[in-house]
Amino acid sequence: MIFALPTLAEPRHFSLAEKLLFLALAAASVWGFWRRFGVVLEKILEAKKDAGFHLFPIGRRGREFLWEVMCQAKVIRQRPLPGLAHAFVFWAFCAFALVTLNHCATILGIGFLDPDGFAGRCYFYFAAVFALACAVGILGLFVRRFLARPRWLGEKLSWESGLIALLIFALMATYLAAFFVSDKNPAAKALWWAHTLTLLAFLPVIPHTKHLHLVLSPVTVFLSRGGFSRIPPLSGDEDFGLVAGKDLTQLVSLQAYSCVECGRCTEHCPANNTGKRLNPKQIVLGLRGYLNEFGPSSDEPLLGKYNSQQAVFECTTCGACEFQCPVGIEHVPILVGLRRGAVNTGAWDDPHGAKLFLALERGSNALGFPLAERDRFIEKNALPLYDGTQEYCLWLGCMGGYDPKGREIILSLVRVMQHLGVTFGVLRKEKCTGDPVRRLGNDLLFQQLAESNMEALKQSKTKKIISICPHCVRTIQEDWKEYGTPPEIEHHSEFLARYADRLPQQQSREKIVFHDPCYLGRYRNVYDEPRAVVSLAGKLVEAPRHRERSFCCGAGGGLAFLGEETGERVSHNRAAELASTGASIVGAACPFCNTMFRDALAAQGAGAPQLLDIAQLAARTLPQDNST
Amino acid sequence: MKIIVAIKQVPERDAQVHIDSSGQWIEEANLQYAMNEPDAYALEEALQLKEKAGGEVIVISTGPERVSQTIREALAKGADRAIHVVCDDLAARDALGVARLLAAAIQPESPDLLLTGLQSEDLGLGQTGVIVAELLGLPHASLILQVEIIAKEGSKAQIKARRELEEGWFQSIELPSPAVLTIQSGGNKLRYATLMGIKRAKTKEVRTVHAADLGVSAAPAVALEAITLPKKQKSTQILNGSAEEAAAALVEKLKFEARVL
Repeated sequence: MIFALPTLAEPRHFSLAEKLLFLALAAASVWGFWRRFGVVLEKILEAKKDAGFHLFPIGRRGREFLWEVMCQAKVIRQRPLPGLAHAFVFWAFCAFALVTLNHCATILGIGFLDPDGFAGRCYFYFAAVFALACAVGILGLFVRRFLARPRWLGEKLSWESGLIALLIFALMATYLAAFFVSDKNPAAKALWWAHTLTLLAFLPVIPHTKHLHLVLSPVTVFLSRGGFSRIPPLSGDEDFGLVAGKDLTQLVSLQAYSCVECGRCTEHCPANNTGKRLNPKQIVLGLRGYLNEFGPSSDEPLLGKYNSQQAVFECTTCGACEFQCPVGIEHVPILVGLRRGAVNTGAWDDPHGAKLFLALERGSNALGFPLAERDRFIEKNALPLYDGTQEYCLWLGCMGGYDPKGREIILSLVRVMQHLGVTFGVLRKEKCTGDPVRRLGNDLLFQQLAESNMEALKQSKTKKIISICPHCVRTIQEDWKEYGTPPEIEHHSEFLARYADRLPQQQSREKIVFHDPCYLGRYRNVYDEPRAVVSLAGKLVEAPRHRERSFCCGAGGGLAFLGEETGERVSHNRAAELASTGASIVGAACPFCNTMFRDALAAQGAGAPQLLDIAQLAARTLPQDNST
Repeated sequence: MKIIVAIKQVPERDAQVHIDSSGQWIEEANLQYAMNEPDAYALEEALQLKEKAGGEVIVISTGPERVSQTIREALAKGADRAIHVVCDDLAARDALGVARLLAAAIQPESPDLLLTGLQSEDLGLGQTGVIVAELLGLPHASLILQVEIIAKEGSKAQIKARRELEEGWFQSIELPSPAVLTIQSGGNKLRYATLMGIKRAKTKEVRTVHAADLGVSAAPAVALEAITLPKKQKSTQILNGSAEEAAAALVEKLKFEARVL
């Protein structure tokens, strides 16, 4: 060997007093850990069982665990630098598991990794690489938290984060330093004890701080309900959603204790970013505070001391929080659960909300128009009625059936379908799918609408539906499952993309910025299809926040029907961003986004981009003589 | 205070109605039904009175089995119990016939106040409530927007009601209890039905009374010959002349022909 590689110094001899001291300290450390962790675990286990929870199939869980926990994929992808720093800390902890076991075993004379042996040497070097990366990583995170201080980490400096960073850094430093002393040197023993004491101090800190996520979040990710924003079924006659502590389920409690307070949810929340009260991180921490004070069998209302009803009803259910969350918290089911608790018991008293509910209790659409208006639209445009022989049942939805802009989108899609020779028909009678009432937490009305629609679709022998509205698509495909078997449905972007090669390509360099609707993107994972359609009509450009990070238009979660918002309008915030791309057209794929941007773009003043749905963009490429 | 609310089940607002083969009624087979809207306001008024002053709210409805769904809805919104006068030939009875059934079923309850909608959304006769008052020998008032109970010392409660008159005028009247009031839509905000309400309604009492057991005459005083759907017609008129003349002619027509001004 040209130069001698350093060897990890491991003290060989410990006195009986040292051994006894170690055992006593270790016992105290474990006790300190369990004293708090035991309480948390008890609260989680004491909580109500989750209705409709199945551990199997386990493959999906395994894949998510591997990708999100082991690979730290989401953490890195969504916040590359701090994400990577965090990943190094995490991987170092994994690599350190064996080192730490061996470290503690040494004093008892049962060490299994020999610093002079080949395997031991290899492993210690392997761990040293991670230790070095971890030390650099934790230093970076320390600088970010205490010097850079991003808004979403909260205004208060967290002393515990500083303490933890110090402990982690000390762990790594004492490990690395041991490579540079001889094992006969008293410094070796000093380093061993320094490392051990840091370790034993670290353990009890974990459950007392947000570092509880070290233990809980892998479990939370593994046990997540899966699917995006899946609203669990209610169970039994006394379940009205999240009303009081006794309604908190084991998964919700586990998620509440797993929050690492990173604030990704808040950073991306459209309500929070436009000056509203809602802060998704505080919703989760509020539940944790509630559990700590009242416990999981309390009758104390959940909306009260820790969380406010106003905040809960400011959520657009865009799901940006849930998508971003690195520890598997499912914010939307929690927020919808709290709304269910308020609406199903009649505690929510909102004039706009009541008006929407009554319109759907008595009528057929969320806009409150008489059904005859829809008939007139069908008659005037000679839309064929669905008779079971056509390929598609064209679902108009409330916007397509009654809203003037929505109708334009339908007529454009009709033109394209006729051009392609694809047969379709519309239903004589449709009711709202129940999307706004589902997200607002009115289970009674949602069930009535879902069942009534499914019955009508069954009678009309509908097999395949096409819709211009991502909210209808989501609600029919996923939410209706609670009450029956819905027919197959697809969004028109998926249909149009499939036929894109049969549609003319327009030789236009006009810049079109595409706005990803939340219910098409994050909820359905459809990102490329609408872009393929946009590319037929012009040059696609991207807004700063796009695809998974798209910013809501403000309409979701029933909020389109709830009247004026406090603070800045979400739609105006997004419209300004879309206009700033310099595109001459905003491409939309949801009639609700469309209706929000119609006003918001107009408020941008002269020169604001034109607003067109992808169906209208596709129809523009068709030869003029095909016009209806 | 014991308040009875008479409610009617009517075809839902968006129902597509067809006349049946007899030509005297509509096909009921595929219809969906809802609570008559003015009755929903009457129920809301009763629930609010109960919330203020306590007491009991009882709903009564007559009609076939399907009516029980609307009764459940009323119980879900907060009524305490219900009476269902089962009657399968409701369409064959006129307002007097229906009022006789209701009056006979209500009498043994001796309520302090009887509320019902001003009129029904299907037939719109506007008579049932008033005839029930006559049959029971009670004072009555119609077109009521708000009701207030004034407790007079030593004597029975007085009812203060606000009536809607023409052209934005209102009239405030007082009646002795018991009385019958027919309620106008729009006086209150209606409450929405909740899941909890529906679940709680399951345990509430619905007493069934058969029309035949009430011993009232089913013979109609009014003979119904035929019903027809309103004819759809479009007629466009072109107003000629200068802008002033055309505008004057338009105002004239809007005032006296269309009567919208």
